[in-house]
Amino acid sequence: MRAERYSVKRHLAGLAGGTALALALTGCGKGSSSDSGGSDGKTIRFVAAKYDDDTQAYWTALIKDFEKVNPGYRVNLEVVDWEQMDSKVKTYVQTKQEPDILNYNKFSDFARDGLVYKAQDVVSPKVLADFLPLFRQKAQYKGAQYGLPFISSARLFFYNKDIFAKAGIARPPSTWAEVEADAKKIKQAGYIGLGLPLGPEEAQAEFQIWAMNNGGGWTDASGKWAIDQQANVDTLSYLRKLTKEKVTQPNPEATNRKDVFNQFAQGKIGMLNGAVFMRKGFIDPVDADLNYGVAALPSKDGSTHKTLGVQDYLVAFKKSDGSNKAAVKKFLDFFYQKENAARFVSTEGFLSVTESAGQVLSSDSQNAAYYKPFVDALSSAEFAPADDPAWAAVDGAVKQRIGTGVAGGDPAKVLGEIQKTAQKGD
Amino acid sequence: MAVHDVTASATGAEHPAPVAPALHPPRRRRRTWRTLEPLLWLGPATLLILTMVVWPIIEMIRTSLTKVSSTGLSEGFAGLRNYTDLFAEGDLPGVLLRTVVWVIGVVTVTILVSLGLSQLLNASFPGRRLVRWAMIVPWASSVLMTALIWRWMLNNFYGVVNRLLMDIGVLDAPVNWLAHPGQALAAMMGVAVFVSLPFTSFVLLAGVQSIPGEVYEAARVDGAGPVRAYLSITLPLLRPSLVVAAIINVINVFNSFPIIWAMTRGGPGFSTDTTTTYLYKLAFDNQSVGESAAMAVVNFGLVLAVVLVYLRVVRRQEDTA
Repeated sequence: MRAERYSVKRHLAGLAGGTALALALTGCGKGSSSDSGGSDGKTIRFVAAKYDDDTQAYWTALIKDFEKVNPGYRVNLEVVDWEQMDSKVKTYVQTKQEPDILNYNKFSDFARDGLVYKAQDVVSPKVLADFLPLFRQKAQYKGAQYGLPFISSARLFFYNKDIFAKAGIARPPSTWAEVEADAKKIKQAGYIGLGLPLGPEEAQAEFQIWAMNNGGGWTDASGKWAIDQQANVDTLSYLRKLTKEKVTQPNPEATNRKDVFNQFAQGKIGMLNGAVFMRKGFIDPVDADLNYGVAALPSKDGSTHKTLGVQDYLVAFKKSDGSNKAAVKKFLDFFYQKENAARFVSTEGFLSVTESAGQVLSSDSQNAAYYKPFVDALSSAEFAPADDPAWAAVDGAVKQRIGTGVAGGDPAKVLGEIQKTAQKGD
Repeated sequence: MAVHDVTASATGAEHPAPVAPALHPPRRRRRTWRTLEPLLWLGPATLLILTMVVWPIIEMIRTSLTKVSSTGLSEGFAGLRNYTDLFAEGDLPGVLLRTVVWVIGVVTVTILVSLGLSQLLNASFPGRRLVRWAMIVPWASSVLMTALIWRWMLNNFYGVVNRLLMDIGVLDAPVNWLAHPGQALAAMMGVAVFVSLPFTSFVLLAGVQSIPGEVYEAARVDGAGPVRAYLSITLPLLRPSLVVAAIINVINVFNSFPIIWAMTRGGPGFSTDTTTTYLYKLAFDNQSVGESAAMAVVNFGLVLAVVLVYLRVVRRQEDTA
């Protein structure tokens, strides 16, 4: 009976938010062994995030190499899609089935709850010293480093040179006023002026890019949540104005990043805030000959241009008897060898977080030209406050709500709601 | 068990014949076996219900009273904090109201259309078997897939719906159907009706087929027309099927997750959420598992209340009928 069957499924889905049992069931479905790392001290479980179709192949090959040079050691790999990552991780933690190593974009609440090792316990001092200072600093919770920087990404402004030529625009915009004026010209030329993805996929990044280039951001100078500050209200009002003038794609509040990235690759959008992996992930597969340029992110007054830095981490979970530590350390040290780390970064089209892998990559002349502006921009990058344990909740609230500020909702009220969520965590 | 004891001693009283004391112990043993025997048959089912149904409910209620950290660790008793947090959410009234519209709308339309379909499927016409098979298609395909396909068809950039409407000149520019709460809700309700039709139609078809033909013959002899026969015979005799169809649909639609999640994720904002998607967002976006459990408890209570009220109304009608 089909109806019964999916009523059960729906029930499970419904209860998933609240019951440990439902979570345990979905977790067990994968056949994951519980706390297996401790059994012989040589087998570890690694949950990796799926960046694209090449991710699984990379790790499988790396693990094969690792097991060859370290006889007796085994790494059980599970590659999880980003969309399911949050619920998977929560399931594993709640049912005490944490992997030994996790590749994720948050670490601070694990550190707060004492679930993960300090970085110095699981990698050699050489690796520790190899992390670029900027990323090392962003991997700390209360003065100690818990996260192991894994990959990073930076944002710059992408524009379509052919569309700019047709619209009669000479150079990429530098100020918000120019963005608005150029977007109108592009619209008249028959294209979408500005791609503005404020749908739930990555709205927090898109909003931060605009906000920080107006002197705003998530926190104030003292580090307190200041999401409803005036600069942010002005930013959201500006984006709302662009939306109402119809120079963006229709309904930014319901448009996800990958949609506008695809539209840009197809030559339908004049300009947008793009990410470093745009070339590998979106443009090359659709139209490798697309005539586009990369410029600094526009700011309100055009004087300073900040970029948004994003980094993902590896964290190593403590196991009851600590017996997994040696194997974890062996594997992590193996991964952070410069060729291995560099190969991952170039496979996925991201930026390196270690000095040595960065050097390997910049000796590759063909790609180095594309990556250079991103690497340079990183020196002035701002990051999301991922080192604050409350960020996870704020991130979720921003993704859900911020888009409504350019549609039906009032910008000040929308930001006020998110501020409330942020303070609830305190 | 108490009942069994009474009957056992009663049968003993009917046979006052002297019984050798030596025979007593084995017989008593057999008797206790007898009394335990039903337990043997009921035990596994009871155990299954306890572990698969009752335990999760207890666990859900317990979680709703617990403070859960954002990593998912329990941090002890929270009192009613999760409930007060939940009822303080500004989006909750809208979510509840939408859930009511969603459930009543989808179930009513489904049942009305299914009543028609079941009549149609019951009529004899060439190719009837084929049509019955075709009815199963929306049932056999995955709900998630159906919802995803509709999302693509309604897509603003690539969707076939916009293309069609623009080609025949109804629209000048593409409409982002799922970005407007009203249109999005209507579209999702359409999909929900579509996937609920097969089950409902077949339940009602079974009901229609169980009505004996003589009743209609008698009615015809008495001069009743088709409308009269439908209202006075078919509908009343269909009541048991209608009750089953309505209750199962209410529960299903109430807890429907995949359609909304695949098509809009409850967005933009929270403007197309029902309680089921809302509790998921509370847990995984807002990171408050405790509050989400509170929502789940409220949700559970609502379903229970709706079903109980419905059953009572139906029973009262039956009593008066």
